[in-house]
Amino acid sequence: MVSHLSRRAFLKGAMVTGSGLIVPNWGALSQARAALEDVKKSKKRCILLFMNGGASQIDTFDMKPGRPTGGPFRPIQSKVTGLQVCEYLPKMAQIADKYAVIRSMKTASPDHPDGIYHMHTCYKQSERTPHPELGAVIAKFNGDPNSDLPSFVRMGPCGNAGAGYLGPAHEPFSVDRNGRLPYFTSPYANPEAEARRAELFRQMEAEFTSGHASEPFDSHRTAKERAWKLLRAKGAFDLTKEPEKLKALYGDNEFAKGCLMARRLVEVGIPFVEVGQDNYDSHADNFVCHKANMQILDVAWSALLSDLTDRGLLDSTLVIWMGEVGRTPQINNRAGRDHFINAWTIVLAGGGIKGGQVYGSTDVDGKFVKDNPVNEGDLFATIYHALGINPRAKHYSGIRPVWLTPEGSKPVKELIA
Amino acid sequence: MPHVRLAAAFLFALVPAAASAAQPLRTVIDRELKSAWEREKITPAPRSSDSAFLRRVYLDLAGTVPTLEETNAFLADTDSKKREKLIDKLLAGPRFAIAQSQIWDLAFFGRVPQNYESVQKRPAFQAWLAKQFADNVPYDKWIKELMLAEQPGSETFWVQYRGQPEEMAVAVSKLFLGTQLQCARCHDHPFEKWTQKDFFGLAGFFVRLVVQESGSGPTRMFTIGEKSSGDVLFAGSVKDQKPGRRGDPVKPRFLGSKTDLDEPPTPKDFKEPKSEGKLPKPVFSRKAKFAEWIASKDNPYLAKAAANRVWAQFMGRGLIHPIDDIRTDSVASHPELFKALTDGLVEHKFDLKWLMREIANSESYQLAMHGPSKDALPKWFEQARVRPLSMEELVASLRIVTQFDRPGDKPPELGWEYFRIYFGDPVNGLGDFQGSLSEHLFWNNSEHIRRFITRKKGNLLEEMVTSKEPVEKKVEKLFLTIHHRPPMPTEAKFVTEYLSGREKPETLFEEVIWALVNTSEFRFNH
Repeated sequence: MVSHLSRRAFLKGAMVTGSGLIVPNWGALSQARAALEDVKKSKKRCILLFMNGGASQIDTFDMKPGRPTGGPFRPIQSKVTGLQVCEYLPKMAQIADKYAVIRSMKTASPDHPDGIYHMHTCYKQSERTPHPELGAVIAKFNGDPNSDLPSFVRMGPCGNAGAGYLGPAHEPFSVDRNGRLPYFTSPYANPEAEARRAELFRQMEAEFTSGHASEPFDSHRTAKERAWKLLRAKGAFDLTKEPEKLKALYGDNEFAKGCLMARRLVEVGIPFVEVGQDNYDSHADNFVCHKANMQILDVAWSALLSDLTDRGLLDSTLVIWMGEVGRTPQINNRAGRDHFINAWTIVLAGGGIKGGQVYGSTDVDGKFVKDNPVNEGDLFATIYHALGINPRAKHYSGIRPVWLTPEGSKPVKELIA
Repeated sequence: MPHVRLAAAFLFALVPAAASAAQPLRTVIDRELKSAWEREKITPAPRSSDSAFLRRVYLDLAGTVPTLEETNAFLADTDSKKREKLIDKLLAGPRFAIAQSQIWDLAFFGRVPQNYESVQKRPAFQAWLAKQFADNVPYDKWIKELMLAEQPGSETFWVQYRGQPEEMAVAVSKLFLGTQLQCARCHDHPFEKWTQKDFFGLAGFFVRLVVQESGSGPTRMFTIGEKSSGDVLFAGSVKDQKPGRRGDPVKPRFLGSKTDLDEPPTPKDFKEPKSEGKLPKPVFSRKAKFAEWIASKDNPYLAKAAANRVWAQFMGRGLIHPIDDIRTDSVASHPELFKALTDGLVEHKFDLKWLMREIANSESYQLAMHGPSKDALPKWFEQARVRPLSMEELVASLRIVTQFDRPGDKPPELGWEYFRIYFGDPVNGLGDFQGSLSEHLFWNNSEHIRRFITRKKGNLLEEMVTSKEPVEKKVEKLFLTIHHRPPMPTEAKFVTEYLSGREKPETLFEEVIWALVNTSEFRFNH
């Protein structure tokens, strides 16, 4: 197994103190070519941009101009023949060769908690088996258990299933988009005291476990060390280290900061980062909501894809854009669109995906899928396949065998590079 | 060679059947485990030290570690029967019922039960459960009462599955019959004789149950009513089901029975009485029939499932493992022992306390945990198992060792929700322990843990700082208090050195206590 950030590369960006304690110098590390090369060679990573509430396909990537369902937004031609996108996604239009649009999502969970669960696990919530989110799956298969950083990080409104049967070692680590870490990550002890008692713990633990070997003890000690390593690697979450020019490119808002943070984190080898964007659930004033959201989304998302490209990371980093549901073609009497699962859109870019294409289509009003329907299982099989993970990998929940994707799920070949 | 071994095993197997009636169960346990070690060529661990035994048996029977006084008294006792005496004392003690009720409550509800909002807080149920253990009500009797749900508090078990007879069937079969019937919910069981008909037949007993609610806020109350009509509908394999097809009614059937329940037909033109509050007693109660059956001699599953569950509670894994997957063709790791446990439980009228006493008194339970295997749950029980402390045990133990509580204190607000998040369910889908990053961020940095340790009137840290005893004595006391054993010479040395550091004694002692409770030795029952 390739460690995604080897000790050697790590040390190049670190200072070693007299006592042998490693104090990482993340400013230097992010510049360290060796580390970046290491990350590129490692297993693939994934960023999920989650449109919480459900973005409207007709107002973004599956426009129906001139139809009763079309709404007021005008389409613009993208860089890719056959793909027109909303006028409020001009930057994304220019880099349409980098992504694939799936216009034929046909899914099964029409509401928020169940849809959020289903679109993060590819299983129905009502089944009761505690399925893991894709973040936990990717953390398990593509993460490095010896890394100094967590392998499943999320920001903003995201998934609701956690690590499920994969267990607490793969639970998400939620950070604030300004880089503020969750509760209990700031020690009350000063650094010398923390190092001192850590050393004492190690002595005691070694004394006991030398006579008493057991797997749970190993797991206990390893997790404890990870908590200390994280304290030393906190700089990875510090956005102030990013150049002002680059920050300006992403935009000055919560979602943009999340996208920049996501890039920063995959660059140091974190295999999965989810960034949520809120306010898509536009049962009323759909067009006001979407216009405002897209103006933020277009800038941040295109900056993320360009930034990853510039660093040579896009080929090995899959960027997913999706929500838990689409929105109705019909416009309701409050100028809103409601939840819709019969025909909606998801966008995939980078790592392992063949960009510059539209897959599947809907009818003239966007009411049903015309060809190549894709369900949750197929989507996840495609994602896992693109990331080098076997979509049918088997685990157990109690005595019950469970697979990463439901029986019959198939990767969409046309989407795979 | 294999033939010789087989023959030897056969001989071993013959002897106990005749002898079991005369011998106490603890002897049968040791004999059966020993014969398996010989057959498997396994060397068992030696007998546990008094300290290791003391801590283990306190956690298993009282749900907490012992106090310093209890530790000193036990270690100083020279009576050769002191382990047996301690087991009797703990079984009769006030913590026994609370500890057992916590274990069974967790089995019944998990950490995040269904119908969460209604059953999340269930002090009445927990009190009811504790009373069953305090009064040592026979297991079959209280399971029957649990099914009837007429004693105040007991109804909460059904409330979590409100309106879901299939979920009730899954829970009852898993918890009390030791079988995984839920496979047969969607398709016939792949490796077992159960068909979907068996599953829906069982659900038929619960389909008429109605959760009745009255009051609100602190006066909110639930009761379980039962209608006189209604059947489970069965529409075939889930794969072949068509939308719009409701399925056919299925009559109730006891698990393993070849015939449906004999019940009077519902009178023609019967209408459920319209009532605002509680339903009247049903014309015919399926619930009562089921409660009667589950505790009857006709039900072969109850004793097996209970014996296996209690064995695993003390010994780590079931003789059939996992404990809720006893199949028709399951072979126990120690078949004669499994039979002796089950038969013994029936002979002793489902007295769980008797069973626990016998297991705890066996030499097998009292083995040390060190040995060549790193397996947390050794298959042949050749060394003691390792399991994480539950959140209840962890908090209770932290309170004991840090001398947190003082007589007359108000019950403190501990932040249980955090303990539930970080310690509630520390295992993966296979039940293996997994340490997590967030658990340790909590250990290391939270005030919720620190508050036990930090200086407070009368607590351990204050005693360490104010006592005039020499530092060696204090170090010994710290180990005896937190690990129930004196320190090894190397430990005494490095801790004494640590305490001679430049910082304030209060700081250094706090760090030593913190380190001691953070070790695996404290985190696990071993």
